[in-house]
Amino acid sequence: MSDVRIFKPRFNPAKPAFGLLVFLLYLFLLAPLLIVCVVSFASNQYLSFPPEGLTLKWYEMLPQESTFMEGMKVSLIVAVIVTLIVLALGVPAALALDRFDFKAKAAVQSFFLSPLLIPSIVLALGMVLLFGPLGLTNTYAGIIIGHVAITIPFVIRTTLMSLATTDTSCEAAARVLGADSWTVFRRVTLPIIQPGVIAGGVIAFIVSFDEAVISLFVAESGLPTLPVQVLRYVENSADAAVAALSVILILISLAVVVVVERVMGLRKALR
Amino acid sequence: MTEPKLSIVDLTKRYAAGLEPAVDRLNMEVEEGHLVALLGPSGCGKTTTLRMVAGLMDPTAGSIVVDGKEITHTPVNKRGMGMVFQSYALFPHMNVEQNVAFGLEMRQTPKSEQKARVAAALDMVQLGHLGKRQTKELSGGQQQRIALARALVVEPTLLLLDEPLSNLDAKLRETMRTEIRSIQQRTRATTLFVTHDQDEALDMADRIAVMNGGLIEQFGSPTDVYERPRTHFVANFIGQANFLTARVGAETGGASLAGESYYKVDVEGLGQFGAVGAAGLSGSTHEMVIRPHRLTVALRPGADQTPVAGTIERVSYTGDALAVAVRVGDQQLQAQLLTSSGDLPRTGDAAYLSWAPEDAYLLPATTSAERLAA
Repeated sequence: MSDVRIFKPRFNPAKPAFGLLVFLLYLFLLAPLLIVCVVSFASNQYLSFPPEGLTLKWYEMLPQESTFMEGMKVSLIVAVIVTLIVLALGVPAALALDRFDFKAKAAVQSFFLSPLLIPSIVLALGMVLLFGPLGLTNTYAGIIIGHVAITIPFVIRTTLMSLATTDTSCEAAARVLGADSWTVFRRVTLPIIQPGVIAGGVIAFIVSFDEAVISLFVAESGLPTLPVQVLRYVENSADAAVAALSVILILISLAVVVVVERVMGLRKALR
Repeated sequence: MTEPKLSIVDLTKRYAAGLEPAVDRLNMEVEEGHLVALLGPSGCGKTTTLRMVAGLMDPTAGSIVVDGKEITHTPVNKRGMGMVFQSYALFPHMNVEQNVAFGLEMRQTPKSEQKARVAAALDMVQLGHLGKRQTKELSGGQQQRIALARALVVEPTLLLLDEPLSNLDAKLRETMRTEIRSIQQRTRATTLFVTHDQDEALDMADRIAVMNGGLIEQFGSPTDVYERPRTHFVANFIGQANFLTARVGAETGGASLAGESYYKVDVEGLGQFGAVGAAGLSGSTHEMVIRPHRLTVALRPGADQTPVAGTIERVSYTGDALAVAVRVGDQQLQAQLLTSSGDLPRTGDAAYLSWAPEDAYLLPATTSAERLAA
């Protein structure tokens, strides 16, 4: 078969150019994180770049900084409760939106997704004005209500996406086999949409843990969350302890992502 | 006759006020142990009917009676049906055994009995060795059998099959259809089977309900609906058919199957022929149905019967059979003949068509025929 011609792939200049573009994009996205990382080990007395020497003193400082520890506690409590509430509300809401036709369905849908479209500063201002008379400012309840409002769109979106790809005849099959509605939900629907539910929960947790504007407006003086504490700290002192804290937070987020990935595959969850 | 296993009385489903009903006052009785095919084109209401019997959909009016008990308003999970879906609808997060055991679990069958019955059901569909597998590792045919085992393991009052074969490839479909039929006969499960495939229905069913536009056009055995279609739609939907307009003359005496009469008919442009039909058709105009393969095609005029002379317009060769379209006057008739090693007819050849009177069937309904004649 000497006459078989093998085609050599022609050199395509677009390929390395595309590689370079992707590299630059990643650099652009990750540069702030990299700088924070570097700064957290720098011995500069003030937050600045480039580093003059290397040190671990900022990390050693963290456990002694009671404001950070307090903020961390508040943020974790808030984030956990918000995640639970938002799943309990968001999953049934998504189910209703997906499975039933009712009047004003479109309106309900946009209502649930609207917090994504409104600037959080506007929401925060509204909440202060509303919560003040109700005595909810500077309480866990106040922060949690605020965070539930801004995280529910994520849970609904990810759950809806999971629901859209599931075969409803599985549920019909379970009903025919004798399962009542609650059993169908628990044994069939929930396991099938689990990836979307978990993805929504993870996003809700991270968004709540991260949220600064609403927390600042609603509970700055009484119940500062970690982001609020960081903001205050940077206002008063300019050392690199916040950089060290940021690195810890990045690692926590990374840990959540890794755990979810290990348990069930995040790519599947975020699909 | 004994009490029917299932009776459907005036069942109606209207999806929205003002819309044509999807199912329109449907009546049907199904005998114990029978497999009944609901056959029709898409949108004829066959799946809607099945879902109402299953309880997955509420009827607008009418009633469903199983074993003498009205179940029209019994919730779906209390009806004890077994259903197989077009998409199989296996639970993706459970393995094969867990899937099959689900219905027994819902009935709170003791664990040990569950195990035995699941194993028996899987053996019945010849998949006993795959119990621990995940369902998505299985082929379409295997998933289909798991779905069947899952529906049958609960010993359902009725087995409902919603186009169970349409996702399989042609070869497998034929194997599965024999298998489903033999399992159905062994278990004697009274079965409703929705399909749009006439071959499936003719091959598998004890009775066929041919549906169109929310109505049953004809309910009868496979030979009934094929040989003695009641309407133009049935004749046209099941198998192929030539339709000729015939003015029915006097009865010529003698009776064929079940009190049918022989008639002398006058087919416009073709001449006088013999035909069969229900009693009392004389004097009106009816459609006459002749199946293509019941037409005898001769290339030379024969001595027997009265051949109709025409010209072959199209020949299509499919190996064992040859389909020819013959132009006779202003009509085209479809005919079929088996191929032989001898000469094959070619386009443009003269052809002489004849048929036995028994193979020319007069449709009882006059409406469509008179509309055609007008």
